[in-house]
Amino acid sequence: MISVKNLGFVYKDSKVAALDDINIEIADGDFVGITGASGAGKTTFTFALNGIIPQKIKGDFYGAVTIDGVDTAEHPAEEFARKVGEVFQDIDSQMVASVVEDEILFGLENFGVPHEEVGVRIDRVLRELGIEDLRDREIEGLSGGQKQKVAIASMLALEPEVIVLDEPTGELDPESSREIFKILTALNKEKGITVIIVEQKIMLLCEYVKHMMVLDKGKIAFYGTPRDMAASIDTFKDLGINVPRVTELSADLIREKIYDGEVTLTVDDAEKMVRRILK
Amino acid sequence: MNLLNYVPGDSFLHRLNPVTKLAAAFMYGIAAILCENVFAEALFIVVMILISATAGLFKRAVLLTGNLMILGLIMFVIQLLFVRDGSPLLVIGGVVLFTTGGLKSALLLSLRVIAAMLPLMLLFAITRMNDLCNALVKRLHLPYRYAFIVTTAFRFVPIFATEFHDIQDAQKARGVDFDTRNIFRKLGLIAPLCVPLLVSSLKKVDVSAMSAEMRGFELRGYKSGYKEYPFAARDMVTVLVLVVLIVATVVLKTIPK
Ligand SMILES: Nc1ncnc2c1ncn2[C@@H]1O[C@H](COP(=O)(O)OP(=O)(O)OP(=O)(O)O)[C@@H](O)[C@H]1O
Ligand SMILES: [Mg+2]
Repeated sequence: MISVKNLGFVYKDSKVAALDDINIEIADGDFVGITGASGAGKTTFTFALNGIIPQKIKGDFYGAVTIDGVDTAEHPAEEFARKVGEVFQDIDSQMVASVVEDEILFGLENFGVPHEEVGVRIDRVLRELGIEDLRDREIEGLSGGQKQKVAIASMLALEPEVIVLDEPTGELDPESSREIFKILTALNKEKGITVIIVEQKIMLLCEYVKHMMVLDKGKIAFYGTPRDMAASIDTFKDLGINVPRVTELSADLIREKIYDGEVTLTVDDAEKMVRRILK
Repeated sequence: MNLLNYVPGDSFLHRLNPVTKLAAAFMYGIAAILCENVFAEALFIVVMILISATAGLFKRAVLLTGNLMILGLIMFVIQLLFVRDGSPLLVIGGVVLFTTGGLKSALLLSLRVIAAMLPLMLLFAITRMNDLCNALVKRLHLPYRYAFIVTTAFRFVPIFATEFHDIQDAQKARGVDFDTRNIFRKLGLIAPLCVPLLVSSLKKVDVSAMSAEMRGFELRGYKSGYKEYPFAARDMVTVLVLVVLIVATVVLKTIPK
């Protein structure tokens, strides 16, 4: 479990707080989506989840973040990184090798995973992400979606309990974006890995995540399940975030007492809702 | 085409140990530097191109030689104008422009530069930087930190190039015309791009360092590498051949004409 208490952070040489009094608990096995405007503090928040902040990035740090009860400020960040692996926003710069297999090997070698186990793990993560055929490819020549999968595979090879991804679909087409979410959902369901993802595509969040967190100027502006959004549509409008139209529609219909079911999050659900109303 | 990227293959050269490849490239270069005969120097270049051909790199070797010739030409001109041995060869208005000695040493030096650089350039075609780095750490116990810095620097070249083009495109979209033929005007247009390029480059290097650190970079020792890089008989043979080459070059030099 990751517990965040009164977390605040001001970057060195900066006057405004990038994070301001954040309180949240992320349970094991959760799937949390984080969204918010550019500069809202999403990336900064992910850095606080495994000790990068305050250990690797300088600034004023307030509050405390604990992972399974251990304070992230009190042990080397590398120790937490194995538990809470992160795929950074800048996908190209975080690669350390030029070939896919070497990229996955890097962490395994560094953390001293026994050599007889290394091969097994590489085979497994390549299979889990469906990229067996990319093993010997140069990373430079891969598509954006393939690079994301390689980055996720390298993380997964270290067998983390939590994976954090910072806008992995930022430069992907809708289909590849959905594929990433499907992979993450499978990891979450089948292996119980906690997933924390920063994402701008609100429709995808509604469809896949268990909890949603909206950041605004370093503060939590909304936290709840995607269905809870329906009760806060005005908050979202103020923040300039478009709640999926099907969600808004169902919320309206429920308020007008035309429909007595649950808030809808996907077009499929909305279709079912309309059919039920028309019956 | 990038003349320095890796070309996958399964040839004799490809299968050599990366350490051997590096040593061989250097030894070939040393032999070329020791050599003092213009014809032998030319032979060094031709032989290198033929050796490359065995790894399917004939075209690459020829193109590289062509590119190195520019460097060779610069050396040639400098040498020609500054070495004054021998008898005058070209005299204009009573001024000796260059001499036979100048021509000979200019020819020798420019060929030598090409012959010595060519194998090092070709090294990139048959060796993955990662393998070179890992093999140097594993076999010669070179500190991983340095090996990593060098390989990363090479990896970043294309990333920076892309970044530069992106920035240039952004400027073009604002109406800056980079297609000018005037080199000074072009420099004037490119210079202001250096600052944004530097800023974004530093950011990228930061991310890269952070990513490496978070994946246990600091914990690594020379035993950490998963891949073994054993020396085989072909490595011994290669080194032996090059030792003979160097010895032969030295011996031939001492034989009086
Ligand atoms: N290294 C830094 N030094 C100083 N200030 C920074 C640094 N990184 C981020 N900031 C500032 O902190 C605030 C939060 O930035 P952050 O990168 O966390 O936002 P974000 O929500 O991830 O934005 P985006 O969607 O653009 O990635 C911004 O005001 C930003 O300018
Ligand atoms: Mg960000």
